[in-house]
Amino acid sequence: MLRAEGIHKRYRRNPPVLAGVDLAFDGPVVLSGANGSGKSTLLRIVAGCTSPTAGRVRGRPRVVGYLPDRFPAQLRMPAGVYLRHLAAIRGTAAEPELLDALGFAGPREEAMARLSKGNAQKVGLAQALGGGPGLVVLDEPWAGLDRAAADHLPVLLAHLDVPLLVTDHTGRAARIPGARHVRLVDGVLIPEPADADTGPLAAPAVAVVLRAVDPAALLAELGLRGRVDADRACLTLPPGEVDAVLLAALRHGGSVVSVGPA
Amino acid sequence: MTSFAVARYLLSDVWRAQRVLIPIVAQLAVLAVLFGGDPGPLPAPWAASSLALYPVATWLAVAVANTEDPVQRSVTVAAAGGPGPVVRGTVLVALAGVVLLTALSVGAGSMVARGASAAHVVEGVLAHLAAGVTGTAVGLLVARPLVARIGWSLLIGLIVVLCTAVQPWLPPVGAAVAALADDRGPSAFLVPLAVAFLLVGAASAVAVGVARRR
Repeated sequence: MLRAEGIHKRYRRNPPVLAGVDLAFDGPVVLSGANGSGKSTLLRIVAGCTSPTAGRVRGRPRVVGYLPDRFPAQLRMPAGVYLRHLAAIRGTAAEPELLDALGFAGPREEAMARLSKGNAQKVGLAQALGGGPGLVVLDEPWAGLDRAAADHLPVLLAHLDVPLLVTDHTGRAARIPGARHVRLVDGVLIPEPADADTGPLAAPAVAVVLRAVDPAALLAELGLRGRVDADRACLTLPPGEVDAVLLAALRHGGSVVSVGPA
Repeated sequence: MTSFAVARYLLSDVWRAQRVLIPIVAQLAVLAVLFGGDPGPLPAPWAASSLALYPVATWLAVAVANTEDPVQRSVTVAAAGGPGPVVRGTVLVALAGVVLLTALSVGAGSMVARGASAAHVVEGVLAHLAAGVTGTAVGLLVARPLVARIGWSLLIGLIVVLCTAVQPWLPPVGAAVAALADDRGPSAFLVPLAVAFLLVGAASAVAVGVARRR
């Protein structure tokens, strides 16, 4: 069980980024929050990259796998050499086959600085997940991944049997089985229902754009609310209501510009 | 053990980046000028090469400490279990460079110049080590994570080196260089060398402390 207790962090002259974060976990935790809400700072503290201003992290294992936001690949060494060095620093065995599992397609003998963003991210993931870490901390691991790798990552993460802390803006973290969801707001953690982030998005919706001489009047006739933009009215509808609304709109003198997924 | 693994990793990157090549070439250039003509009897010529090794070692330490991007460094710190082993690995690589340049400087001197007795060679080695190890300490203090911008590193490093190297009473570098010029015997270098290693220890502790807070 990893315990972050009363974590505060402030950088000098700035308001505190974290103001008393408590988090205890031994399985997957998905952390969300607005841009600049301190997610990356909390991850860096949990991973042991920086110390909190107050509070402490207990039970951090010896081997930690950490993937920062924007894994930089400015090193001159090839990916395989980098993974071997990082494994040696951790005292574990390198797992270059993780690169294959993630569909790494970059040159293996050339400098990491020449890798594409996605391939560099795969190297970052391979170093974080390889060698049996006792704690895995991943900051936006889906950033830059192609679809196959992005789909495979939740499978890899589901097989981890260690504390896992991950941030995600893509919604794919919802596919990690048994994950707890928390949100960072004003420097403290609040629990979040598992589907709060993906729920409204998961329900399909249809975007409809209508054109009329007076789009506001057309919306009033239809009894619907929407956005008016010059001679157009933009609506978001549940799929079941689309046909009826289009029919009514045509009957009231409007015309249909587009119908598509919202 | 972790420190040595970090040192091997940093050495591997620093070597490929070729950034350490410039300070090494700079020291070789000093040696070529110094021992190319008639340098005079030893150990006095080594006063010049050990003085040169001071800024060169500072530069070398900055190059090693800055070889990783700060975000890349955070990955390494997490892997090593904290900034301690990473700073110690940096020091190990920088000191290996100092040992190499000391061997080259003393070796070149004893091959070319007159009057190379065993005692003189010991004096030369100790003086170069004192200057180089002090340079490593200064380099740690003007590199990341303490000083992020390389321009400030250059300026502050230059000021510190210029101010401390020219004081003949001030250990470690000023005193070691003065002792070489006067040929005071090997025992005169022990205090400067001890002070130099204390400075590296203190500089490492400061670097670890700052890295923890960032």
